[in-house]
Amino acid sequence: MISELKEDLQNLLNSITISIKNSRSSSELENTRVNSLGKKGSITVYLKNIRDYDLETKKEIGAYLNDIKSQINKLILDKRNFFKKEHLKDKLNSEKIDVSLTPYETEIGTLHPLSRTIEELCAIFADMGFSIVDGPDIESDYYNFTALNIPEEHPARQEHDTFYLQPDVNGQRKVLRTHTSPVQIRTMEKIDLKNFDEIRYIIPGRTYRSDHDATHSPMFHQCEGLVLGKNINMGHLKGCLIEFCRTYFNEDNLPVRFRPSYFPFTEPSAEVDIGCKKENDGSLVIGEGEDWLEILGSGMVHPRVLQGVGIDPSKYQGFAFGMGLERLTMLKYGIPDLRPFYDSDLRWLKHYGFIPVDNPSLHSGLNGVFS
Amino acid sequence: MKFTWKWLLDHLETDKILSEILEALPKLGLEVASVVNLAEDLKSFISVEIIDVKKHPNADKLNVCKVFDGENTFDVVCGAPNVKLGMKSVFANIGTFIPGLNLKLKKGKIRGEESFGMLCSEKELTLSENHNGIIELESSSELGLSISDIMDLNDPIIEIEITPNRGDCLGVRGIARDLAAAGMGNLRDLDIIFSEGEFDSIINWQVDLDENEKYLCPKIFGRSFTNLKNGESPSWLKNRLIAVDQRPISSIVDITNYIMIDIGRPLHAYDIEKIKGTTLKISKSKKGDKFSALNGNTYELDDNMLVISDEQSVDDLAGIMGGERTGVTENTTRMFLEAAIFDPVSIANTGRKLNLNSDARYRFERGLDYNSPETVMHYAAAMFNKICGGKFSKIVNFKLEQKDKIIKFNPKIIYQLTGVKIENELSKSILEKLGFKILSQDDIWDITPPGWRPDIDGIADIVEEIIRINGYDNIPSIKLLRSNYIAKPAMSIKHRQAFFASRILASRGYNEVITFSFLNKTMADQFNGGELALNLVNPISSELTDMRPSIIPNLLLAVQKNVNIGAQDLSFFEIGPIFKGDSPNEQISTITGIRYGDKIKKDWQNQAVQFDFYDIKLDVIKALDAIGVPKNSLKIFQDAPGYFHPGRSAVFKIGQNIIASFGEIHPKIGDTFGFNKSAIGFEIFYENIPLPKRNKISRPMLKISNLQPVTREFAFIINEGIESDKVCQVAKSINKDLITEVIILDIYNGEKIPQDMKSVAIKVTIQPIQETLTDSVLEEISANLINAIEKKLSGSLREI
Repeated sequence: MISELKEDLQNLLNSITISIKNSRSSSELENTRVNSLGKKGSITVYLKNIRDYDLETKKEIGAYLNDIKSQINKLILDKRNFFKKEHLKDKLNSEKIDVSLTPYETEIGTLHPLSRTIEELCAIFADMGFSIVDGPDIESDYYNFTALNIPEEHPARQEHDTFYLQPDVNGQRKVLRTHTSPVQIRTMEKIDLKNFDEIRYIIPGRTYRSDHDATHSPMFHQCEGLVLGKNINMGHLKGCLIEFCRTYFNEDNLPVRFRPSYFPFTEPSAEVDIGCKKENDGSLVIGEGEDWLEILGSGMVHPRVLQGVGIDPSKYQGFAFGMGLERLTMLKYGIPDLRPFYDSDLRWLKHYGFIPVDNPSLHSGLNGVFS
Repeated sequence: MKFTWKWLLDHLETDKILSEILEALPKLGLEVASVVNLAEDLKSFISVEIIDVKKHPNADKLNVCKVFDGENTFDVVCGAPNVKLGMKSVFANIGTFIPGLNLKLKKGKIRGEESFGMLCSEKELTLSENHNGIIELESSSELGLSISDIMDLNDPIIEIEITPNRGDCLGVRGIARDLAAAGMGNLRDLDIIFSEGEFDSIINWQVDLDENEKYLCPKIFGRSFTNLKNGESPSWLKNRLIAVDQRPISSIVDITNYIMIDIGRPLHAYDIEKIKGTTLKISKSKKGDKFSALNGNTYELDDNMLVISDEQSVDDLAGIMGGERTGVTENTTRMFLEAAIFDPVSIANTGRKLNLNSDARYRFERGLDYNSPETVMHYAAAMFNKICGGKFSKIVNFKLEQKDKIIKFNPKIIYQLTGVKIENELSKSILEKLGFKILSQDDIWDITPPGWRPDIDGIADIVEEIIRINGYDNIPSIKLLRSNYIAKPAMSIKHRQAFFASRILASRGYNEVITFSFLNKTMADQFNGGELALNLVNPISSELTDMRPSIIPNLLLAVQKNVNIGAQDLSFFEIGPIFKGDSPNEQISTITGIRYGDKIKKDWQNQAVQFDFYDIKLDVIKALDAIGVPKNSLKIFQDAPGYFHPGRSAVFKIGQNIIASFGEIHPKIGDTFGFNKSAIGFEIFYENIPLPKRNKISRPMLKISNLQPVTREFAFIINEGIESDKVCQVAKSINKDLITEVIILDIYNGEKIPQDMKSVAIKVTIQPIQETLTDSVLEEISANLINAIEKKLSGSLREI
């Protein structure tokens, strides 16, 4: 009796095992589970009928049945886990996308190379204690010329190619400033001599001359510098400008040459050259070679200019300098042509411009990530 | 200023070579612009004799010549009209580079006849513009020699830039003097034979100026020459003039030009036969006086120009240009020579008014050697005598007595101003070599600058002379140490605002541009500008006549340019000035931007979306937020300037001040640019942003809650004319502590919504602070909100 029962149960177990193995989905597996272990399942029926047997049979078959039941449970659990894995695999497979695609990008914009140069200058001169100031583009003749020791008939005026605005009722013509130097006068006029020790200013800005060809633009940019104090001499001018040139061009040993020159508003005056090499293709390598390239003008503020703003030149002296920003930008960044600076050509702006997170500073560098 | 190496050596005795001199010049402030050695370019051109000339069989104007260089004979086809048998000329063999034609000579057939080289004109050798025929060499010229030797071309031409203060270096002698002072050699004595003259001058001076105006002509000298033989100058003189770009004309003119370059002293020569009367009068012109100048132009003079006239009329513009009527010609035999000092200011004014430039004016304006009229009378007389023969008269002159300029100079100032330590003896020696006279008493020197340095008029000028000759390389380099060690920003608030805004805008996709501050009149008018006071008298073109009243037109032009070259989606900004008037406070800095085209491009992911008013509004809000204007301090009004679309534009104000205007550019303006899409723009007037009274760097304590926020959605029907944002404002006002955000989900005015009404759906976020909100509290908030919309906006909850 027992052995017959066992044989029946073994057969039942075999058929359930096959059924579990052959089930192709969770629902088929669930059917098998219900048919075997459910309320009316084949195994459950045996378990219910067990009370009809004698004690010995009850005991032995009971243990046998429990063993079968746990075997079936394990088989179902394994099969279920198998289905879960399969399902996830299918899901992942079905979710596959084409990684070769790139969405259309709304591109980040750029900052103009000239703004960049102005910011680099600000960073360099700020480190030497300079502040940045500005002044008007439309100037009176007085500020643009006379106060700078350039009287009306001065030959230097002819070199300025001045733009004039329509005369007012008194016949006075305003001019578009031909250089940033008038702001020197405006800043010195504001000095309160009672509380005056020293000033250091740079003045970047727009300047205008009526000249338009491959190397001249009717509007261009200059940066003026002014240092005035009790003990500022031409040695400071030299030290300051050498440091500027070397920092700006990122060349520790950049040769810098000072050459006598003439500006009506400085005396003595000096032009500043940097060492470079002129390549056969016309390009320049800064810092190498035998050639010199003029990049800025400078000098000790002319005593007459100081007197004109009420400063006693025997008590205070200082230096001033001025440079063309387009030229500095072209030299540093290898931009060959002046005119596109104002042409707003998107291709040029994207190529020569700077991303807004690249803020030139002395701690993060003036020349991007890799310099 | 151009001169030649050999010319310099006439004045400078030196053992230095050219390269050493070229290195020394810029150190003295004489910038070398170029050095050209024609001999280098022309060394392969040789002298030949034409030994046969035959007509070209196939061309009337050509000849086939045989030329002989002393060894070989060459066949050459030549088209020059002056070619003739036995003539000596200049020959270029095959392979020679012809500088005037900028090509290398190749063997070739010309109309069927082979040519093995070329006979050359002066133009082809870049000796002059003369292309009338081939060069004719002296018949005594040796054959087969390099042309640079025959024509004495082996003389490098040096051009230097002369700064306006250095009139003395507009003569070769001045340059030599500077070099000598710098130890580059010795200045030779000027070769002058003082000669009183054989007869009284035929022409005399009459200075017809008031006593207080005699300064206009403080000195004028003259001398008559007779029995002159004018004609072609000797070749050495012509060659020198050609080298420095002066066209040889006739001996008399050539000598005056030569002396001008040689010692920087302009001269003027009159033909005595053509002077009416025997007096030349120096006076001031009257308006309407006419004057025919040597350049062939006639000028109508103004009042008060310094002129020289004879009995007939004005025929010389003092110091600028002589007159055609009394000028010398080939046939002149009697000549009157003028050398004067005129007031540079007067010369400059006259020259500028008449727009008349000349080599003489250039030198007079920069100041001449006050002593030069005397010396040049003798220097020139000797040269005229040598070249043109004849006799010369005694000198006639007028001169004002002038006191020497004395500058009190304390040599300690050299160190004080420049940091250069220099021995007093060295300073003195430098000044003396430059021609300064020094009388020293104790610490103070009395310095008299030389006559040729009228630019020297103060202590600083003298310091410059000393350190210039001593060498700028000897100025110490002193580090300019920071004096203020508290890190104050170098930028002002205004600069920082521009700095911040540019970064926000660029990161939102805008590209920064820099455009001209001027534009054309039409655009200036269109953008509420165009006042007369902002109009340029001398614009560079009719497109750049008026100072811009707004940057928007510049940016629209930028968009147009890019659209024309195929770009489609553009965002530009510029930070720069606009002009409302010509005084400094009417120049306003603005941050201005334009967007045009698609915000989102159509691609495999998205449908195209164009930029619109709301994109720009957000740009403005973000930029303002970055530069210190919180969104909630702004009030919006719909009164933007007329160049915006009236229904799609707005302004932000704080109080009465307009902070920004923005919106769609008026379609009629877009049309003028040929746009087929709307351009959207903004202008931020950041100078109008009120500055905080005190800049609070520390921030208020952050209060955050860990409780879940609750959201509720409502839809209200309100009058269509009410600004939708009012619903949000009212909703927020219900409970400012708990309601943290109100968003408009939807605006609808279609079916089921009454005429002239719209439905505004909002989502309200309520953030519990201390404890979870009970249903009854939430109900109360909802009820209050509905109530408030009903009361304040006459709105009703939309039944769905």
